[in-house]
Amino acid sequence: MNFNRIGKLFVPLATIFILLSMGGNVSPVCASPTVATVQKASGTAAIVRQGQTMSATVGLEIRENDTLRTGPNGSIGVIFRDDTLLSLGPESALVIDKFVFAPGEGKFSIVLRMIRGTAAYLSGLISKLAPDSAHFETPTASIGIRGTRFVVRVEGK
Amino acid sequence: MRQWRNVLFVLIFFCLLSGCGAHRAKRDLIVLLPDQNGKGGVITVTTQGGSQILDKPGYGIEFDDLNKPPVAPKPVEEKEVSDVFAAALSVLPDQTGRFILFILYFERNTAKLTHESNDLLSQVQKTIKSRNSNEVYVAGHTDLVGTEAYNAGLSSKRANTIRDLLVSSGIKPKTLFVSSYGKARPLVPTKDQVPEPRNRRVEVIVR
Repeated sequence: MNFNRIGKLFVPLATIFILLSMGGNVSPVCASPTVATVQKASGTAAIVRQGQTMSATVGLEIRENDTLRTGPNGSIGVIFRDDTLLSLGPESALVIDKFVFAPGEGKFSIVLRMIRGTAAYLSGLISKLAPDSAHFETPTASIGIRGTRFVVRVEGK
Repeated sequence: MRQWRNVLFVLIFFCLLSGCGAHRAKRDLIVLLPDQNGKGGVITVTTQGGSQILDKPGYGIEFDDLNKPPVAPKPVEEKEVSDVFAAALSVLPDQTGRFILFILYFERNTAKLTHESNDLLSQVQKTIKSRNSNEVYVAGHTDLVGTEAYNAGLSSKRANTIRDLLVSSGIKPKTLFVSSYGKARPLVPTKDQVPEPRNRRVEVIVR
């Protein structure tokens, strides 16, 4: 019975999804590559992708536009493809707005948007190769990062 | 009656103290930490009200109002950093060294390596061999002196010089991915026609 209901839902959902992915500025899921992987996670920590929440486990792959989220006792540490390191403390949320690491084409960019919480960051190769291409956005400020290690707290709303 | 008025005053007083209402008690905060390799980074915090530069490890900038400039950098005590950021810092992964970057510099207007970079080359070769890497990016660049066309040629010559040197030391050509960008991607931003030794370079990224 349950299966039937899922089956009935599937067709319209799939249609909506196909329509969405044809919509131009929404890129198809399968085309977005892995930009980072979860290296450490404890407590409640999740990756939210297009409205779907996945519990963060070591090795889980992260893509562009994913949101990292932690609960009151949660924390998560990830490694980006260029060796940039990022971690979040409890009650945090951060969106990976952009990540491009294409050394063969000379294209480098990382834009992280912090919604709330605490984070620690250590620059990887992108900051060394294209120093003006690493940015951290918060609700009130834009932060340019030139090759460094820092911590940040955003109170959020 | 009077008692209640006192209570009200006390309430207002605490309200002001704790910053309830329009202002939050805690402000957003960014703290620059010392880098392992000793090279200090630079952070620029920009709001619509202005911007502040943070370049001293152990210093922090507070900001929480879109329309106000960030507060000037102040020293932040280690204890505060560890209190606020302990959880985040404890799960910051170790550096993996998935890639190793070498930057080789060139004499002005040539595809001839500087003395120091010539010495570094053997280390590049050793690293590629010891990692048994099959993915090495070689990217040529120039400073901003001269025309685009000229520098496109020069950066390509530089990249291919390194490629040839690596190949002649026994590294397989198919592991090398060569590209060049002329004056389009300076590492140190300068105005056009400004000579800058740090931009005359080939980046070798070893996976």
